[in-house]
Amino acid sequence: MTATQPSAVTRFPETRQFLEQIRSRVGKVVVGQDVVVERVLIALLTSGHLLLQGVPGLAKTLLVAAVSKTVDLAFARIQFTIDLLPSDIVGSEILDQKTHEFRTHRGPIFTNLLLADEINRAAPKVQSALLEAMQERRVTIGNQTYPLPAPFLVIATQNPVEQAGTFELPEAQLDRFMLLHRLGYLTKDQEKEVLRRNTLLGVRRDGKGAVARTEFDVLGEQTTGSSDQLVRAMEDVQQVHVSDAFLEHVIEIVNRTRKHPRLELGCSPRAGISLVKASRARALIHGRDFVLPEDLFALAEDVILHRIRLSYEAVADGWTAPKVLQEILGEVAQ
Amino acid sequence: MKSALSWIVVFSWFAVAMLPAQARNDRAATVGMRGVIEQVVLPGSELEPAPSTAKTPVVLRVLQTWPHGEHLRYDLEWSGLEPGQHDLAKYLVRKDGSPLGELPPLVVDVTSVLAKGAAEPSEPDPVACERLGGYSMLQWTVGTAWVLGLLAILFVGRDFRRRRTEAKVEPTLADRLRPLVERIAAGGGDDAAKAELERLLVAFWRARLGLHGHKAGDAIVAIKEHAEAGALLRQLEAWLHMPKPPAAVDVQALLDPYRAVTAASFAPIVPPPEGA
Repeated sequence: MTATQPSAVTRFPETRQFLEQIRSRVGKVVVGQDVVVERVLIALLTSGHLLLQGVPGLAKTLLVAAVSKTVDLAFARIQFTIDLLPSDIVGSEILDQKTHEFRTHRGPIFTNLLLADEINRAAPKVQSALLEAMQERRVTIGNQTYPLPAPFLVIATQNPVEQAGTFELPEAQLDRFMLLHRLGYLTKDQEKEVLRRNTLLGVRRDGKGAVARTEFDVLGEQTTGSSDQLVRAMEDVQQVHVSDAFLEHVIEIVNRTRKHPRLELGCSPRAGISLVKASRARALIHGRDFVLPEDLFALAEDVILHRIRLSYEAVADGWTAPKVLQEILGEVAQ
Repeated sequence: MKSALSWIVVFSWFAVAMLPAQARNDRAATVGMRGVIEQVVLPGSELEPAPSTAKTPVVLRVLQTWPHGEHLRYDLEWSGLEPGQHDLAKYLVRKDGSPLGELPPLVVDVTSVLAKGAAEPSEPDPVACERLGGYSMLQWTVGTAWVLGLLAILFVGRDFRRRRTEAKVEPTLADRLRPLVERIAAGGGDDAAKAELERLLVAFWRARLGLHGHKAGDAIVAIKEHAEAGALLRQLEAWLHMPKPPAAVDVQALLDPYRAVTAASFAPIVPPPEGA
């Protein structure tokens, strides 16, 4: 008998079809960025929040919008600015002039999928309000506490350049994000495809006038999946088998970040939990009902990198966090 | 008067110059020193020095020969090797081989400058004569010994080397992995050890396939896709991570790529046998 190939399994056919539909739909408007789409799906399936880091114009917003419209989720977007207030996000109590009573006005956070654009431009207390809601999945307005809709997922973006006037998220708050994915530029062929598609957009008639169509117009309003399917997919993720040997790998990596001489701050226990959760979702996306070390190593950068901090000496010596992490992963597999 | 005296001096000088030269007649010398006897007339046909031997006490040479009436006149040179009186006539022979006949004695006296009783070089020790005969026996003995030596080298030495080589054969990586893999295949083994084995296999192939420049995740995928490297790793993943591990497989076939590698060349991958 030859060696077994631990790859595709026949379980979860509906979920796999659902996920394929999302990828296909998103792929119609977003060129390339397959890894980013996978990370968004992982976040969606595990209710883990996602921070996307990349320069403007990499279709971060379009990608999130495409996913939300595909799955029929309530979608809201907040552009974070320096003068934003916590009440602008969570809502506030306003006095009703007719009844002379306070009425609760719910903010845009009451949604399924929240896109927090340029989160590092808001003041710390606004960031804190959002991150608290992310963690507890409920907000308090006045004396009342309101649960957030389920599923609730925050996909935040931040620009790695133009740091003037920004408030860098502290490690404790970054830890709330299950994944931090760094977007890169498209390849030449992908960028050519973007340009080619853009030339075919045409114009959209609006009354007597017309406006040039954008990629957002291509999305349309029709959904291909339902929130029920998403819930079923989330349940299926919980069925993905995690072996003890896999947990050993996770513990090994997490522990090494805590003992590494070039790191001042290693991974929190939440990092290990996130690694396992994200690996389960990735395994499901790749058609498996069990996790493999390749899931772990593929996700390690996105899960760990924003949770570690270099020591002063390491920075002075020219080390970077990605370099140290690759060294750790190399040592684990060595 | 003065003029007459000058003439006498000049005449005397010429008279002396015109006198015949006095012939040398060295009849005595020390050992090893040369002596010359000139203008000696000896009767009979021409003479020459007799062939000398190791025992001859005098070395004699004929320097020159002239006819002298019916005889011959000789200039002789001699050198004494042994102290004592020696008659040089005894050491002459006729050139034409005729008998020597009666010759007047030509006695010379050789003296030694060494003090009496001075040490003289002693005779060399007598040496036993070389073995004579028995060569055939010797040839057979040497030949037999050579053949026996050759046989010993060919058979005893070869066997010794083989036994030494067998004793030095190092276990291969496959030998070391087999018990661990079989234990995992049977559902046994410690989780930490299984995880470590998986990581070490990745490290092993990462080094062999030169994948150190790749990210760890990409390296794992590349190793799994590799025909030789992937077999055991894929199977190990199946055993370790699948909820229902597959049925028994051919462990020997999985370990084939590890037979050419000694365990010592990859020491970290060799966990001690269980119970050791």
